[in-house]
Amino acid sequence: MSYSTVSGGPGLETAAVTAVQAGRRKPSRLGRHRKLTFDYVSFLLVFLGLPLAIFLIFVISPFVQALYYAMTNWTGFSDAMDFIGIDNFVKLFNDPIFLQAMMNNIVLAIIVPLVTIVIALVFASMITVGGPSSGQVRGLQASSFYRVISFFPYVIPAIVIAILWNMIYTPSGGLLNGILGLIGVQDQPSWLGDERTAMGATIFVIVWSMVGFYMILFIAAIKGIPSETLEAARIDGAGRFRTVTSILLPQMRDNVQTAYIYLGIMALDAFVYMVGLNSTGGPGNSTLVMSQYLFRTAFEKGQFGLATAMGVVLAVITLLFAALVIGVFRLIGGKDEGGRA
Amino acid sequence: MELNDASISRRNLLRGAATAALLLPFGATLASCAAPSGGGGGGDKPAGEVSADNPFGVAANSKVDAVIFDGGYGIDYVETSAKIMQGNKNLDGVSVKVASSTKIAQELQPRFVGGNPPDLIDNSGANSIGWNTILDQLETLDDVLDSNNLEGTKISDTLFGGVKAPGTFDGRFVALNYVMTVYGIWYSSSLFEENGWDVPKSWQDLKALGEKAKAKGKYLFLWGKEAATYYQTMVVDSAVIQAGDDVRIPLENLDAKAWSHPAIQGILEILHDLIASGYVKPGGGGTQFTQAQAQWSLDQEALLYPSGSWIENEMKKTTKDDFKMKGFPELPLDTSQTTPAGTMRAEAGEPFIVPKKAKNVAGGKELLRTMLSKESATAFAKNKLAPTIVKDTVPADGFGSTALVSQSEMLASAGENVFTIKSFNLYGMNSDQLPIWNSFLDGKMTVAEITKQLQGLTDKVREDSSVTKIEIK
Repeated sequence: MSYSTVSGGPGLETAAVTAVQAGRRKPSRLGRHRKLTFDYVSFLLVFLGLPLAIFLIFVISPFVQALYYAMTNWTGFSDAMDFIGIDNFVKLFNDPIFLQAMMNNIVLAIIVPLVTIVIALVFASMITVGGPSSGQVRGLQASSFYRVISFFPYVIPAIVIAILWNMIYTPSGGLLNGILGLIGVQDQPSWLGDERTAMGATIFVIVWSMVGFYMILFIAAIKGIPSETLEAARIDGAGRFRTVTSILLPQMRDNVQTAYIYLGIMALDAFVYMVGLNSTGGPGNSTLVMSQYLFRTAFEKGQFGLATAMGVVLAVITLLFAALVIGVFRLIGGKDEGGRA
Repeated sequence: MELNDASISRRNLLRGAATAALLLPFGATLASCAAPSGGGGGGDKPAGEVSADNPFGVAANSKVDAVIFDGGYGIDYVETSAKIMQGNKNLDGVSVKVASSTKIAQELQPRFVGGNPPDLIDNSGANSIGWNTILDQLETLDDVLDSNNLEGTKISDTLFGGVKAPGTFDGRFVALNYVMTVYGIWYSSSLFEENGWDVPKSWQDLKALGEKAKAKGKYLFLWGKEAATYYQTMVVDSAVIQAGDDVRIPLENLDAKAWSHPAIQGILEILHDLIASGYVKPGGGGTQFTQAQAQWSLDQEALLYPSGSWIENEMKKTTKDDFKMKGFPELPLDTSQTTPAGTMRAEAGEPFIVPKKAKNVAGGKELLRTMLSKESATAFAKNKLAPTIVKDTVPADGFGSTALVSQSEMLASAGENVFTIKSFNLYGMNSDQLPIWNSFLDGKMTVAEITKQLQGLTDKVREDSSVTKIEIK
């Protein structure tokens, strides 16, 4: 606050400031004169020193090392390496396969969260507020049954899901083309084997496996909204759609934002799904992602320095993504917050 | 599954790289992890007395640590040899530990960096360690071939021709490839007899055979997505059979015009024509490769399949009962081949290596010597239906396997005229080539496009100064 009021005389604000200062000073006496007893030092060591050390060793130091290795030509199998500056990064951004993998990741990071969240939101709303329009606000009949069913895919490990869908997508003898054959479709696509369908088929699998979890997350958020609000909206004549867009969505913005970031990070990795569905990177590298290319560069080509540089790029993209999402949501939510205050 | 492995490796990598200063507070427990700066190993190796029965001087009561790729051949054949070695009275109580691994590179990477590698490794499979990264850390194995086997014959006299070639890099023989692999095109001789089809003699015959197959509602070829490059192997090997070193040397040494050779181009044109004519079963790019192979061996939807001789063992359980599997060498472009008749690609596979820094180098070599004994090699041929590099272990009836008999016949008619292609594996190019071949076989690419893309990969490796090149002769 302004200093002029402080010098100008005792006002309400200055009183508050003094009170705060006094409050601050009091415990500091305890700290300054505290004896370094064994209890106190061991407490510090165990609850401050140990976590800090673990954090430094297992989180910070690998980051720093990764940065360093990204600037070497380390092959991964010897203790010899030369420092080569940013050569690896220059090489990466001139490598058409890496750029393609990066684009695939970006496509995934845009589409997967969007589609997953929209579907999860629709399901969550139907289960919570989509029921009959008379009486208490409630979900569809047997909604708890749907809730359990749609959670199933999330319980299955990602690699199992990937292998499962790999089988379903098999062009001859696979379940999907079998069904298409039954209903008389002659020109059956080879799904994961065709550049036009491979990415779409892959995105479908990821979305399929994720929708259940985010639906549960959104249901929890909706349950946190007081039912009085919902009932008031209904009395005012709001339909189900209006209730969702005007009541539910604004109140669960934080949940949606978190979900968006989580899903985006998962889509920027996507390693397990991609390896299980198309370990080769798909026809024409159409489903190759950075993490796959990184793994290949490190362990198949023995270029750990270059692979680490890919990891650094991936980390930077992930951070940028998170920042972007938070920024966009703040922009959207800005008006509301201004209005409330 | 994959993710798990990946994260473990990454953790090992990062933890292994932790600097000594950061490790200090945690004492010796963490310091024992692999660190690039830490040497370890080497130096003080236990040594036993060198004698005719113990040519490498394996120390008494020492331990041998072997890590074996658990693939098509399993690891039991090494365990069998390990038992023989442990029972060897001349070695005085040596114990052998045989561990299996399906991901050699990921599991052994920290041990190599930490200077603590195993004594014997079968560096094989899709996740093997790239040769150009570890060559200078490997023992040469000439002394193994110069020693006598357990039966008392000099080992080099008992082997097939050319077995040192695939394991020799820059003139150093560092990898002993144990299993003889024949590259060919495989078919059901019973099906061919039934329909009165002839085995093709050159690429020119394939179209006519494709037509006949189509008339029967079958395809000529089929493929699976992880094995699309089997067709690259077929094209390249065929071109080498047609034009010899003229094709092979530029390809192996990453020449700027390697893929434009007329022999390769002519074969690609024919293959493209076969694909366009519908003689190659569509959809392979979306089919897992063993499923695709079963469509050939069990459902007989296609007549031919190009592969290495492991195919019989790999498809043992999913092969039709009356499928009499036989093979023929990959085909020349036309009748004017410049190499001697019978020339084919045959190479020893399953490379065994002994790292210099291993604790018991002598023990690793001794285990190899035991594996090369007549007893061990014959047991392998019998159990795996594949010949080792040791000659004369397969009887005339091939233990009842037609494929094994036809392998022996091919090897016999080729004699010394065998070649291998090393550069694709040497520089880890396979996974970059796979998507290209999947597109080409799917009919999505012209010959000009696939040539440009394959040449592009070759040029990329050649121009990458961080990749150590090895001249292949």
